[in-house]
Amino acid sequence: MTTTDLLREHAPVRQGTFEALRHRPVVLGLIGLVTLAVAVVAGIGLGSVFIAPGDTVAILARELLGLPVTETWASAHQTIVMELRLPRVLTALVVGTGLSVAGVTFQGLLRNPLADPYVLGTASGAALGAAIGVLLPIQIAWLGLGLANIFAFIGALAAIAIVYRVAGGGGRSTMTSILLTGYAVGSMLAAGLSLAMYLSGSQLRQIFFYLLGSLAGSDWQSLAIGLPVIAIGSILIMSRARSLNGLLLGDDTALHLGVDVRRERAILLALASLVTAAAVALAGLIGFVGLVVPHVVRLVVGPNARLVLPLSAIFGAAFLVWADLGARITGELPVGIITAVIGAPIFVVLLRRYRTGYQL
Amino acid sequence: MEVRTVEQASGRCVSRGFLLAPATTLALAIALIAGTTPWVHAAEAIEAFPRTIVDDEGTTLVLDAQPQRVVSLSPANTEIAFALGAGDRLVGRTDWDDYPAAATAITPVASFTGVDMEQLVALEPDLVLAAGNFFTPPDDIARMRELGFPVVVLYAPDIPTVLTDIELIGAALGADEAAAQMTAAMEAQFDAIGEAVSAVETRPRTFYQVGSEPEIYAPAPGSFVADMVTFAGGDPITTADAAAWSIPLEELLVADPEVIILGDANYGVCPGDVAARPGWNDMTAVVTGAVRPVDDVPVTRPGPRLMQGLAALARAIHPELELAAFPPDPPLCQDG
Repeated sequence: MTTTDLLREHAPVRQGTFEALRHRPVVLGLIGLVTLAVAVVAGIGLGSVFIAPGDTVAILARELLGLPVTETWASAHQTIVMELRLPRVLTALVVGTGLSVAGVTFQGLLRNPLADPYVLGTASGAALGAAIGVLLPIQIAWLGLGLANIFAFIGALAAIAIVYRVAGGGGRSTMTSILLTGYAVGSMLAAGLSLAMYLSGSQLRQIFFYLLGSLAGSDWQSLAIGLPVIAIGSILIMSRARSLNGLLLGDDTALHLGVDVRRERAILLALASLVTAAAVALAGLIGFVGLVVPHVVRLVVGPNARLVLPLSAIFGAAFLVWADLGARITGELPVGIITAVIGAPIFVVLLRRYRTGYQL
Repeated sequence: MEVRTVEQASGRCVSRGFLLAPATTLALAIALIAGTTPWVHAAEAIEAFPRTIVDDEGTTLVLDAQPQRVVSLSPANTEIAFALGAGDRLVGRTDWDDYPAAATAITPVASFTGVDMEQLVALEPDLVLAAGNFFTPPDDIARMRELGFPVVVLYAPDIPTVLTDIELIGAALGADEAAAQMTAAMEAQFDAIGEAVSAVETRPRTFYQVGSEPEIYAPAPGSFVADMVTFAGGDPITTADAAAWSIPLEELLVADPEVIILGDANYGVCPGDVAARPGWNDMTAVVTGAVRPVDDVPVTRPGPRLMQGLAALARAIHPELELAAFPPDPPLCQDG
């Protein structure tokens, strides 16, 4: 009996309009890709400055495909499309993917539906790191990443490393103790963050906006660093979907299924943390994506990680590109507000629709 | 005779700012302002472009031609540009630029969240007057430079730097003469206020209330507002150190202000509210009724109206002061 069969057997009967999609993950994936494609097109085409769609297409055709299009547009418009919108849309896509994949992984590893990429102190660690980066009286930019971004990356990884060590690593420790240690360490780091904010004076605004998350600072350089980390991390996680499925059933069952629980758990934790840290370094703390997208996907296709991981990646990317477009056309509202305002109602509607049962 | 180069001419702005940055005490600043004026005057300055500018953060940039499309990223920069007669060259501003009235007709490109980069790029500015000390987010300044826009960052931590900033903006806009005239006039006003203030014997302990909810916000020692209170003839009550924004009520009670200036009067706080606060009744200022509202914008905005602000502040601290050159402000808090 394979893991998938086991999971199927446990899956409760569902009713609803999307029932037809449940056993057609490929169709669902295609729908996701189309949504993502439309989001990317809209994201490049729209913004606070109006650029004629024809011009946008012509700029992209010449700059990306090298087609011999005569330049009929303002050079400012080319800068907006190529240097502002395109890297921003692609960063949203990458960050949305990373957060969703990390969310699936943390929820599965911790067997906790409230887990998200930030659950093990990553958020507080990243935020404290960013705050220290903002407060240090030096300005260093390394490959397009400011000190705040670099420190956020380090802070996120340091936080989770501390949690893992304190909780006793992969050894005797249960996932509950890791979760609680994460909460404790996170609270401590959050207190440090509050202190840093209290003492920050005129830099307070910068820290505050980092906490809300934003894609406004996206550029090609930082994308070129973040993209490989998130892409490779996500692919490696997906290649371990079988282990994640096993761990979902509990440590003992996973062992019986031939999963090296300690090793797989450590690897998955490390990969998910790395992806989260990279996402946080690129865009700050964008909430809700990593919590809700995996749940929505699971509601439709069931708990099998082999399906949930790639579908969450696609829908997470599309969701964040749409949310960021919403943020841009509403005058740079923090994108975390948009993700919650759009995401929460969708989530509640889906939960009600599938109220007959839902399991991780 | 040695020919003055562009670098030297613009360098004077920086060297003066550098010299005066620590001048937070009354004596030093007055000596420098009223006494020796080491910088050259407008007639000597070079009008021609290209010219090299060094901004308040030490960044050097070359302006090839007189800027015609200018984005201002702070209310003070906007006021200065208008006062120098370059208001018609402004194409972008922040959400808070409210003075002069003509400024409100300009496209806003920056808000609390930072610079709307798309809007800024679309305006194709040939000069951006940004604000330092994190008012314009440093990331945005870096981004604008990355995109090839000339950015001058201005930040005045004290009153003398406001004058160098006006000359710096004048140099960037090619309005050197207007800037020199303006700073000379402001220096004369500063001297006049200083003279009037020095004729008064008392230096009342003055609490400039920056805000009162949820904590009591006061100027930090050595801050711009604390300096303004000192120059206006008050002994400023400040927070414990430069990093603190608020002052505990207990400390304020011990400091016992003789005058309370309501810097938040524009935001609806009036003398009646202060007397109603528990514990405040014991303060000398409340007992003697020396709680006075002031329009905080000219006091705190490092722009051309600074001396009007200083005069208003001096009047609020010393109501008996004769400052004929400065028309009194319309009264605030009439109902309270």
